[in-house]
Amino acid sequence: MIFKETSSVVSNNKIAKGIYQTILYAPDISAYSHPGQFVNILPSYNWKNVMRRPMSIASQGNDEISIIYKPIGEGTRIMTNWKEGSQVDLIGPLGNYWSNYDSGYPILIGGGVGIAPILNLHTQLGKKHIQHILIMGAKNAQEHFLQHDPINHTYISTDDGSVGINGNVVDALKVIFPDGDYPANGKIFSCGPPMMMESVRKFALEHNLCCNLALETIMACGIGICQGCAVERKIDNIADYSYRTHYALACIDGPIFTAEEIVSCL
Amino acid sequence: MLIKIKDIEFASPLLTASGTYGYGHEVQDLANINEWGGIITKSVTLNPREGNPPPRIAETPSGMLNSIGLANLGVEEYCREIVPFLNKLDTKVIINIAGSTIEDYLETLGILESANGNHVGYEINISCPNVKEGGIEFGVSCGLTETLTSEIRNLTDKLLIMKLSPNVTRIEDIAKASENGGADAVSAINTVIGMSIDIKSRRPKLHTKFGGLSGPAIKPIAIANIHKVYKAVAIPVIGIGGVSNVDDVIEFLLAGASMVQIGTMNYQDPNLGIDIKKKLLQYINDNNIDDIDQLIGKVDVHCS
Repeated sequence: MIFKETSSVVSNNKIAKGIYQTILYAPDISAYSHPGQFVNILPSYNWKNVMRRPMSIASQGNDEISIIYKPIGEGTRIMTNWKEGSQVDLIGPLGNYWSNYDSGYPILIGGGVGIAPILNLHTQLGKKHIQHILIMGAKNAQEHFLQHDPINHTYISTDDGSVGINGNVVDALKVIFPDGDYPANGKIFSCGPPMMMESVRKFALEHNLCCNLALETIMACGIGICQGCAVERKIDNIADYSYRTHYALACIDGPIFTAEEIVSCL
Repeated sequence: MLIKIKDIEFASPLLTASGTYGYGHEVQDLANINEWGGIITKSVTLNPREGNPPPRIAETPSGMLNSIGLANLGVEEYCREIVPFLNKLDTKVIINIAGSTIEDYLETLGILESANGNHVGYEINISCPNVKEGGIEFGVSCGLTETLTSEIRNLTDKLLIMKLSPNVTRIEDIAKASENGGADAVSAINTVIGMSIDIKSRRPKLHTKFGGLSGPAIKPIAIANIHKVYKAVAIPVIGIGGVSNVDDVIEFLLAGASMVQIGTMNYQDPNLGIDIKKKLLQYINDNNIDDIDQLIGKVDVHCS
């Protein structure tokens, strides 16, 4: 079930340098969404652009959902100015969601704007008492809102080494699992900037680790109509005539794809 | 607010533009599809098509560029999977067809004609700018347009609409060719060729370099073309291009459109055509207009 829901802003706060979290009262979407899914947001009622803005759901429950975003474009800048009680038009929940996390040993890797669906899965696994590792990457300490807490399997990495593990999330994997000692049943779940995810994808393929990636693409409708969010699948023998075999749609076939399934995250 | 084209009565002058409402089933959770005058489904071709490589869309001021490349499931799957859903709708269904040769169009149409569908007609895409074989070679040629129209006319008594491209020197000539070929109506306009470049990477924002521009950005281009076509042919004109509110619909009617399609703005709000219908009724009541016909082509031009 997909809803077009008029939500209202419960809170809208800066949680780290350049990173905002908004909690929205949206009972229908909250009740029906799963970690990994997204909503397509109308930033304002006089929005002059034609496209909504797709955002991953960072949490759901108690009639609310939350989103986490960086103000980089016009839409997200408008979003930072939402006041408590502001009405926000949402379409969702959309897309597929994280699955098969209860078999194997989940390794969650997030970074940059891709932290929302990873945090959501982290919460879900916590509720289900599924032991897992969480790795969050950022440029520097100011961009982090989690604590580096290896005892509780939460690791943060920074490109400048200002906090946590020095380096990117793949460097973090190498520090956490020295000598290539990766758990045999390790299963990666990742979302983040395209370059980061492509590094994770290649790493997973090289080390035979099962890997699920939540991709971000340009998107208009979010419901499989406009066909704008194509993702190239790795196909050995492309048939003369086919549809959504070679080019999947991130909005309805994704946003989550496996590392082997796609050509690239870039 | 009944609108009649050929012998078909539409409960509202508002239709979904092809490619912006899928096959209808995608939006069934979000909108009461039956409140539309009709839905025009996404272009279907003889064989399935994967479409163009990404990136396929780009946002532009008050609009968007697309180069999807007619990705669709092909007519046989369409008949199996989509037609049964469409048959349950109370609104009028018009099937958009694209092709690369006359034979393609005719074979696709033949399959649809024998599919036991309740659809009332066809819109023929002779104007897709994004694939070489997307019919545009027909859409820029009067001779080919007339031949294709008359060949299709021979195969069906259903409503036949030819969808015109603005990317031609004289759209009114293509409209006349459609009329001469036996079309019941023409729809105008398809997207306008455009291009956008990422100045950091210096790459075109679309994989295919050029794409079709749609959205409010093209509305004045649409109105000019609708008016030219309205003046050139006796068959009804169905206006398309950048409609986002009731004022736009009235403007299109005044320019000469008998019905109006809503396209790109459906992505923002799948209920837009339903809301506009209510506002149009309000406008008609407030202004003591008996019949929507009283608006069609009634632009009051300046004296020369």
